[in-house]
Amino acid sequence: MASTGCVGGGPSTEPERVWGGHGVTNGKFYRPRAMTLGPDDELYIVDMTGRIQVFTPQGEFIRDWRTPTIAQGKPSGLAFDQEGRLMVADTHYFRVLFYTPEGQLLEDRTIGGVNGHGPGEFNFVTHARQDSLGNYYVAEYGEYDRVQKFSPQREFICQWGGHGEEVGQFIRPQKMAIDEQNHIWVTDACNHRIQVFDASGDQPQLVKVWGRQGRQLGDLCYPYDLALDGQGHVYVCEFGNHRVQKLTLDGQPVGSWGVQGRRAGQLHNPWALALDRGGRVHVLDTYNHRVQTIRL
Amino acid sequence: MFDQLKQLAFAAPWWLWLLGLALCLTGSFALAGKGRAGRALSWVLAGLTFVGAIAFSVVVIIDMGWNLGFDSPWWLLLLLLIPVIWAFSYRSLAGLGRFRRPFAIGLRSLVLLLLVLCLAEAQLLKTSEKLTVMYLLDQSESVPLPRREAMMSYVIREVAKHRNPDREDAAGVIIFGREAKIESAPLSDDIPSVGKIEGLVDLRVDATNLEAALKLAQATFPEDTAKRVVIVTDGNENIGNAREVARLLTDKSIAIDVVPILLDARAEVAVEKVAMPVEVRKDQPLETRVVVNNYAGQTAEDGGMVRGRLKLTRRLGASDETLSEQEVDLSPGKNVFRFRHEIAESGVYTYQADFTPTDADDDLLTQNNRATAFTQVRGQGRVLLIEDWANRGRFDYLASRLRQNGIDVTIQGSDQLFTSLAELQGFDSVILADVPRSSGEDAGNVTNFSDEQIEMLVRNTETGCGLIMVGGESSFGAGGWSNTELEKAMPVDFQIKNAKIQAVGALVLMMHASEMAEGNYWQKVTAREAIKALGPMDYAGLIHWGPAGTDQWLWGAPQGLVRVSNRRQTMLARLDRMQPGDMPQFDPAMRMTLAAFNRVNASIKHAIIISDGDPSQPRQSTLNGFVAGKIKISTVAVGAHGAAGHKTLQSIATQTGGKYYVVTNPKALPRIYQREARRVARPLIYEPDGGVTPQIVYPHEMLNGIEGAMPPIKGFVLTTVKENPLVEVSIRSPKPADNVNNTILASWTYGVGRAVAFTSDAGVKWTDTWTGWENYDKFWSQMVRWSMRPSGDQGKFTVSTDYKDGKVQVVVTALDKNDEFLNFLDLSATIIGPDLKTFELDINQTAPGRYVGEFDAPADGNYFVNITAPGDPNAEDPRPSMLMAGVNVPYSQEYRDRESNLALVTALARMTPKDGEPGLIIQGEMAPGKMDQLLEADTFRHNLPKARSSQDVWPLLVLVAACLFFFDVAVRRIQFGLEWARPAVNWVREKVFHREKLEAPDDRLERLRQRKAAVSTSLDERRAAARFEPQPDEQAVDLDRVVEEVSGARPDAPPPRAAPTPTPSSEEEDSYTSRLMKAKQQAFKKKD
Repeated sequence: MASTGCVGGGPSTEPERVWGGHGVTNGKFYRPRAMTLGPDDELYIVDMTGRIQVFTPQGEFIRDWRTPTIAQGKPSGLAFDQEGRLMVADTHYFRVLFYTPEGQLLEDRTIGGVNGHGPGEFNFVTHARQDSLGNYYVAEYGEYDRVQKFSPQREFICQWGGHGEEVGQFIRPQKMAIDEQNHIWVTDACNHRIQVFDASGDQPQLVKVWGRQGRQLGDLCYPYDLALDGQGHVYVCEFGNHRVQKLTLDGQPVGSWGVQGRRAGQLHNPWALALDRGGRVHVLDTYNHRVQTIRL
Repeated sequence: MFDQLKQLAFAAPWWLWLLGLALCLTGSFALAGKGRAGRALSWVLAGLTFVGAIAFSVVVIIDMGWNLGFDSPWWLLLLLLIPVIWAFSYRSLAGLGRFRRPFAIGLRSLVLLLLVLCLAEAQLLKTSEKLTVMYLLDQSESVPLPRREAMMSYVIREVAKHRNPDREDAAGVIIFGREAKIESAPLSDDIPSVGKIEGLVDLRVDATNLEAALKLAQATFPEDTAKRVVIVTDGNENIGNAREVARLLTDKSIAIDVVPILLDARAEVAVEKVAMPVEVRKDQPLETRVVVNNYAGQTAEDGGMVRGRLKLTRRLGASDETLSEQEVDLSPGKNVFRFRHEIAESGVYTYQADFTPTDADDDLLTQNNRATAFTQVRGQGRVLLIEDWANRGRFDYLASRLRQNGIDVTIQGSDQLFTSLAELQGFDSVILADVPRSSGEDAGNVTNFSDEQIEMLVRNTETGCGLIMVGGESSFGAGGWSNTELEKAMPVDFQIKNAKIQAVGALVLMMHASEMAEGNYWQKVTAREAIKALGPMDYAGLIHWGPAGTDQWLWGAPQGLVRVSNRRQTMLARLDRMQPGDMPQFDPAMRMTLAAFNRVNASIKHAIIISDGDPSQPRQSTLNGFVAGKIKISTVAVGAHGAAGHKTLQSIATQTGGKYYVVTNPKALPRIYQREARRVARPLIYEPDGGVTPQIVYPHEMLNGIEGAMPPIKGFVLTTVKENPLVEVSIRSPKPADNVNNTILASWTYGVGRAVAFTSDAGVKWTDTWTGWENYDKFWSQMVRWSMRPSGDQGKFTVSTDYKDGKVQVVVTALDKNDEFLNFLDLSATIIGPDLKTFELDINQTAPGRYVGEFDAPADGNYFVNITAPGDPNAEDPRPSMLMAGVNVPYSQEYRDRESNLALVTALARMTPKDGEPGLIIQGEMAPGKMDQLLEADTFRHNLPKARSSQDVWPLLVLVAACLFFFDVAVRRIQFGLEWARPAVNWVREKVFHREKLEAPDDRLERLRQRKAAVSTSLDERRAAARFEPQPDEQAVDLDRVVEEVSGARPDAPPPRAAPTPTPSSEEEDSYTSRLMKAKQQAFKKKD
């Protein structure tokens, strides 16, 4: 079969827990696309109905709310900042919304909202992160695939990237993670690689880049999310390979989990993952409308 | 008693069962050797063990949620054979010993039991607690709109309140009007609140078809569940018979609850009908009567009078004329208004009366404020010429020349097309003058001939009207007419099957519209339209983000682009299974597309991308590849990501020279795809250098009087002449010289109409020199006149129609020129209904000169009756006579119902489902915020028989019986010993546990001795059983017994148990004879 995609994964093992399911009522999902962990390991998940649902680590529903409007499209990125506020990448409204964990919108903190390519303007926002110094980083794709850096007061500082395949450029920077050195890890999804930047200076510097398109262990195919465990490993969720890979910080494979399928232990175009304090990996099995919890 | 036993059996714990069985079995063995009474008791206990084991198996099966059932239970009587088997086997298996005998008998009984179960067709039945409720919501217009809107809210709240998730109860919703459709499939979840009923978009609500809803509900229910329908309706059924279907449902244990919608007494005015003659002569004074009914009751204040405006309009073709518009006062009851006028032009006229009340409160239902009728005026030939609205005026010259030759010509743009068959029936011929199937430049103004309009054209031709298709760059296959119904009506096919002619296009469809509402459905619809428009030599490919998580071709991988040829149906079938996913980026799929295009040799290459615009943009190098290959990409932006999401799509289209569409209404998508697919059909235009001179190859009636050479033409559209003897090709082009694709003029008869194909144009671009040709007028006017509808009846026929109780009666009276009855005519009639479907009508003679036929008219609108009377072979036009009539069936009964049909509602709810309880009539107000009373009734109450699913188990039982039979034989034929056990234990001790070897005494000699003795004993026993054997001398005391044995006096005496004596056989023989002699002599002595 000729294709430019890639298919990978290894033998799948039974997950610790599978929960969710196709539906629109509380506790069920319709194509969930982003997930993050709260301060107490609660899981915050947004799906294609525009709902943000909150769950215990065991998958029990706690509460939910909706973003102000979803007529143009639904959010596709979630993360918490240092002060415990939920940052929602409201993709098709070109902005980052801030919520309390209970779901109260903090309108005065919103970043962006204007479509464009100037400083502080966005196209499709994919993710937002905050480093230990309080600086915000917002990734976007569309016309200009880039990452913009903002001060703790949400003032524009700098930007880097651009649409392309060259090192330092992006095609769809989907998710970010920040390590202890405040290095910015970016999943460069359509270039099938991970890029790491040091953005502490005036001009962000590339620290490392690894990954190539493929289906073998260590290869990547549309990496859509990543998480760092602080012990020298990075977990990468691959949309195209229907799997989660555990790699060293230099991209050497340690293990992988998941193959394409509908059964427990199988994945179908996963969009996101979250690593909790107990070392469990929660995988957002998007096209199966569920979450699977594993240890890898 | 049986019930108590049953309860006891199910209450007992499993260990108690096993203990009881073990005790019975042990007792049976223990008592086996204890005399006659012991043996009898032993057998009783063995029987108890057997029956108890079977009972325990049944209890376990039932306890697991299964039950046993039999399709042919009478076979179970064969179980009475089991005691018989025991009785017979007891003796015949006596030699097996006390342990093997009962075991063998048990196995044999079990085999028989299993075989009997197989013959009785045993099934495992599973019962389920689950209940599924389907809500049938009446969305017909007899129910006031606020009540209809509140129904979904009621269902959502009812399901949320009463559904039992532990039982995995499911709920689904069906909406119905004229037809029924599923709004929400039955799922074990609450009904999602989406704010409105989505299925209403294309649901016809001008009638109530409860029968269809019930049938759909029955088909939608899952298998393993109890079932209930809850009907929310006013009960005003006007299509189908709900009672009959409801009875079928209750026979299948499906319960019915009803939530009646009570209609308020309301003021109502209805235009009942427009009455006028069906056929009139030109300039004949004519009276049209309009009947308006005022349903208002007489009140003290105004006497029930209603004031309003009554308007009567007349339509011929697309032009309307107001005959009267006046203020009227309607008194309660029927009011009749008369209008006198005359008609000056021939044609079929449609009359319409509209009433508009001054005070809207006097008339709540507006759908019944209009009535229509039609009449026909015969006259000279009338022709409808349809031209492309985007290129108007190109056929004005042709129209003027036809008019000059006494033919009425009406020109219609393709953006204002006819909407009913009635409009077409007024014309004798229709000319499609270089008009494409779809025209326009962007999503806002793209128009097309709908499938219904094409069908109208075809039906119109079938029933006698002419159809002429004039060529041009937007006509025939080049106009996107391939694979339409119209192609079937023409004497030529619009596609080229000749590979030598380079008329090949290639089209790739890239699909990424999964986020738009019903995106998958619309992608399939659009792709289907595009593929249908392609010719067999064209290439087609479809690429999408497939289920495997990659960009994939839907067919033909790895090439991607494959010839349509005979794969069209396969492609359409693949489309049904297509599930496009969320494509992350355009580039890989576009590179695959570019590579596929570069592999095929096509004159025109084109791609269409449909997307919500959020995949990442393609590389510039990829776009450059398309530009270099002269491949245009049209992009269609759908979904809801706004203008920002469409920049990438706009950029792709702009850079490659394609069109860019923004679509907000998905219904525009098929038109866009038809138009885009037309680009690929451009190679069908044939414009040879220097032009060609057409040749008359057949002296057709259309060409009478046209002699000499024809003027040259610069081009025409390639077609393929149909392989049908009715097709007459009159003019061909010398190029291409294949006599298949070079048709210029061809004609045939389709139905009773005539169809003509002229593949060049009419004096525009290719035949611009023809306008100066002296035969131009003759050529075109003769062509048009030849195609026209037959000019009229030859005798004196009168046709009358009458509508009553849903049926239309057609009566034909036939007289000849001398007013004598015409008898034994073979009349045939075709009816065209409001849905444009045609059907045949049988017309039979009932009296001298009188012919009658009758048909059902379930839908409102105009029914046209075309009667064909046999033609006169001696007449100038020997074609059969066409008699046209029609009848107008007024609007649906839906708009007459003013009260709820409580009788039907009550009857449905009172029907008792099999093994269940009758349904409820759930009373309460169907209005937002006032539903508490409705919600008190629990539609998920489980008073229905539990659902059972069955599974045949006889194949398994046969297998088990076969295995047991093997053991049954084995037990009887093989004796198992345990001599191997001790050495085995020793071996394990020594090898596995490394214990010291037990020094057992060498007992080999002892064992040998024992074995020898056993063999000898066995031999003696056999001899004793086989022949008489005298006892040794020392046992002479038993001689009398020996003699008695020989004489048979004591046949049951036990065999001798003498110890074996190792005597040589010769000595034994001697002593045997001598001993016998001695014994005889002694016996004789005693006797003496």
